[in-house]
Amino acid sequence: MIRMDRDDHAAIQAVLAGDKDAYGALVVRHSQTLFRLAYRITGNEADADDVVQEAFLRGYRKLEGFESRSNFGTWIYRIAVHCALDKVKHRKGDETNLAGRVGDANDPELDQLQVADRAAGPERLLLSGELASLQQVALHSLTATERTAFVLRHMEDCTTAEIGAALGIDPNAAKQAVFRAVQKLRRRLAPLKVTT
Amino acid sequence: MMHITEEEMIEQVYGEGGKAGAVERHLEACRACAEAFAELKRDLAEVDRVQAPARDAHYGDRVWAAIADTLPVYSVREKRRWWSPGGRAGFWLTALSYAAGCALLVSSAFYAGRMWEQRQRPHVAAVQQAPAAPQPKQPIVVVVLDDHLDRSERFLVQLKHADLDNSALVSPMRDEARSLLAANRVCRKNTAQDSDPELKTALDHLDRLLAEAVNAPGGLNATSIVKLQDEMNADGLLLEVRVLRARISNREAAGKKPAKGGTI
Repeated sequence: MIRMDRDDHAAIQAVLAGDKDAYGALVVRHSQTLFRLAYRITGNEADADDVVQEAFLRGYRKLEGFESRSNFGTWIYRIAVHCALDKVKHRKGDETNLAGRVGDANDPELDQLQVADRAAGPERLLLSGELASLQQVALHSLTATERTAFVLRHMEDCTTAEIGAALGIDPNAAKQAVFRAVQKLRRRLAPLKVTT
Repeated sequence: MMHITEEEMIEQVYGEGGKAGAVERHLEACRACAEAFAELKRDLAEVDRVQAPARDAHYGDRVWAAIADTLPVYSVREKRRWWSPGGRAGFWLTALSYAAGCALLVSSAFYAGRMWEQRQRPHVAAVQQAPAAPQPKQPIVVVVLDDHLDRSERFLVQLKHADLDNSALVSPMRDEARSLLAANRVCRKNTAQDSDPELKTALDHLDRLLAEAVNAPGGLNATSIVKLQDEMNADGLLLEVRVLRARISNREAAGKKPAKGGTI
């Protein structure tokens, strides 16, 4: 990790000295992490790819303001969070239609997808892919801030303070966003679950 | 027994919150809360299925290839010195230099304004010293002198025909004499440089007569009036005043410079 930091800082110095290609090393090194984050927030590969590119573009433009004491990975990660948030906010209308599917107890398609929540039987395994996509839709029924806070907490293992810093909100507000996200998700996914 | 809230359970799942020990003890003791907590963990575990699609090892290269052409090259930076424009101190130096420049500009404008004002001042003074338009002071004085002579003439006429037995008339005459005496002294003072000897002589004569009328022992009575008429030659003075009045009126009508007088 320390070596990576040293390499990142060396690359940044080179870029600021006029060596644009040095930024390529930073892009290669952090692209996978940013893509995973962007996909979890946007739920869409194409959007996630856009977010990764936009994050590195913004990072390049702001590179002069990068504090040498900071960690580039953390810094570009926060930029990616903001890019993903922007992306989600822009297509909020489209998501509203999709989100309507989940939580509708009378939807026959959803009735077929109801599975036992404990037994990992073959039916469940077969349907797990579809179920995952519906959970993704449920995730996208949250507000952009709630979803991002939940993703950072639940999937990226960020602390509440880190979430607050990434979203630019108070840590307590970040905690409340996580609470609301969990409550909404459970409510939305409840019809997909049958007890054994 | 107070059950734990959903928020406290969520905090417990993520290992946050300051009551982790108390919540754990409660979960061991409370079956309902333990079941609710287990259900929450299962629900959240289901969401873990959301996995990002894998990206191959060349993904970063592709991202770089997509954005590389759009990035400008940073200009070669010189090593930042504390006074350089990019340094922190450089920022303050730049700001200070701007402030100093502004201050210099303001003070220059102020100095230039002062200089301009000083150059303009003589002209202003010249304007102020320019001959003023003839003031109607002289006609006013003439009017006053003429009025004074008119009043004096009436007083002398009244003195000439005074009813010596009617003391009711005598007292107002004395007051009039006192008022005329004051006015006469002003006229005398203002005509001191005048070249008209007759005017000066007449005013001097009038002054003595009026002073006598005002200061007559026992007040202005029959005795003092007779004395004024006889000894002070009031009739002769009346004639002089009439002549002077006529002359001044003629001079004014002819547009000649009238004799100086004074305001009362």
